[in-house]
Amino acid sequence: MKKTIFLILCYSSILIAQSVDQQKEANLFSPPNIKKFADYLFCSHDYLRAALEYQRYLSTNHNDTVSYKIAIAYSKIGNYSKAAKLFASIDHQSHLFPDAQLEYYKALFQDEDYFGLRNDFINADLSNQFVLSPRAKKLFYFSYLFTNDKLPGENQFLSHFEGTDFQRVKDFYSWKEAPPYKSSLAAGILSAIIPGLGKIYVKKYSDGAFAFLATAALGYLTYSDFKAGHNFRGWVFGGLAAGFYAGNIYGSIAAAQIYNVKIQFDFVNSLKAFLNAKNFFIPEINFCR
Amino acid sequence: MKWHIIFLISVIVFSTSNIFAQDVLKKQFAFAKNLYASENYYDAITELKRLLFFDTYSQYTFEIYELMGKSYKMGGKFSDAILNFTDAELNAKTIQQIYQAKIEIIRANILRRTTDRALQLLDELANDKRFTSKANEINYWRGWALMFADKWDEAAKSFAKIDSCKQLQNLAEKVHKDKYSEVFSNLISHFIPGAGQIYTGNYFSGFLSLGWNVLWGYVTINSFAANRIFDGLVELNLLWLRFYNGNIQNAQNFAKEKNLIITNKALNYLQFDFYGQKP
Repeated sequence: MKKTIFLILCYSSILIAQSVDQQKEANLFSPPNIKKFADYLFCSHDYLRAALEYQRYLSTNHNDTVSYKIAIAYSKIGNYSKAAKLFASIDHQSHLFPDAQLEYYKALFQDEDYFGLRNDFINADLSNQFVLSPRAKKLFYFSYLFTNDKLPGENQFLSHFEGTDFQRVKDFYSWKEAPPYKSSLAAGILSAIIPGLGKIYVKKYSDGAFAFLATAALGYLTYSDFKAGHNFRGWVFGGLAAGFYAGNIYGSIAAAQIYNVKIQFDFVNSLKAFLNAKNFFIPEINFCR
Repeated sequence: MKWHIIFLISVIVFSTSNIFAQDVLKKQFAFAKNLYASENYYDAITELKRLLFFDTYSQYTFEIYELMGKSYKMGGKFSDAILNFTDAELNAKTIQQIYQAKIEIIRANILRRTTDRALQLLDELANDKRFTSKANEINYWRGWALMFADKWDEAAKSFAKIDSCKQLQNLAEKVHKDKYSEVFSNLISHFIPGAGQIYTGNYFSGFLSLGWNVLWGYVTINSFAANRIFDGLVELNLLWLRFYNGNIQNAQNFAKEKNLIITNKALNYLQFDFYGQKP
């Protein structure tokens, strides 16, 4: 009888222990469940919710990977300044520090804080606290293509790029060194000499042809009306011709400025597309295998 | 005897733990519903996603997707709402739930202004024999879809099929009656410049347009009459036709603008002063 009672007690305590474990598992807000849920959100690309859940998890636990993932989540949703701060807070001793350092530079880059990136880079290099990776150096040099600061020497700049990247980066460097801008002054002068020529100079061919024809037609009407003694009409068409002529000069100057802004915009876009295709020279860690 | 007791203990312990787990999910769903009711839609979605993640036996799947869809809809994210209502439909357990999900998809499409899709889904519902008893409701939402599609006369006809929808029928009929015809406005401007503007109540613009056309028409005809053909052609192209074409475009734009004011007023009424069911 005693043996039976002992057996029953043992068995029930095992079952109760299992049941307590199950109940813990059923607590949706227990730290392991919060982390599980956050991982699920992260892998479903619901980054803001994932970050908030990870932060909730961190309030009771310390975990470098979770801190890193929060920063990644903020970076993914475009909150780069916050992501940069979080990457910077990853401990130097952590195994994720080298990746965090690269992601930090990437976040600064995406936040368009090129000066901050360069200052940090130079300070880190001077302080010798850790070795800066060649990937970080690529970002450092690439940042010069986005600003109007003096470019580093071509050899020094290009020495950090190799393989298929080399020629592409070389093209970017050459563009930045001598951008194919159009002169507003030249456009204005050309249109003053021959109406519409300034527009053709900035590759607005149809606008240029129209400006030429409209000014010529109005000029001819002015001439023929004055010649036929229709002075009133002559003055009306003369005024219109003068307006077209002056407007065309102004328009050519504006068109040159717009052309320059457009090619600069296209250049920056192609830089960004190149960087995105290369993931900013950073290997991406896949947490969702 | 011993085995009986062990069996009994096992049953009790397992069932209590299972009941506890059920209770947790139930509480979580109530929590999410509460967040939704207090208009805290972002958090409601988070908690519903948590429930979905831990609801391993898919007991709440339909309800979760439906409420998530509603939360997204309330947040103005209609495409996300439609995705969730579609998931709700896929996880529906009864015909009523399928119908409910389909109607929610239609309502979200109306709000998203993808009214063609809403009307297509309504046609599918109307042709589905499972939902023959829902004809009134289907006509009701068709009326709404047509109002949002700017087809007020058809909307009025759809509401007319329902006995209890006089208010919406009258509104749709009134809007249809008040609206200006863009085609007519365009057409009369071809014959009498400025007439389209005058038709839409823009008298100053109408007479101004008429004046410009008379002036440049006179100058052009005068040049042709004096055998100054080149002058006449330039005046015709650069001046008269420019004002003539501008007048036609202007008349049509005025009609569009006026119609927009009329329909916006009606939609404003539906949004703030109409107390029936809305998309």
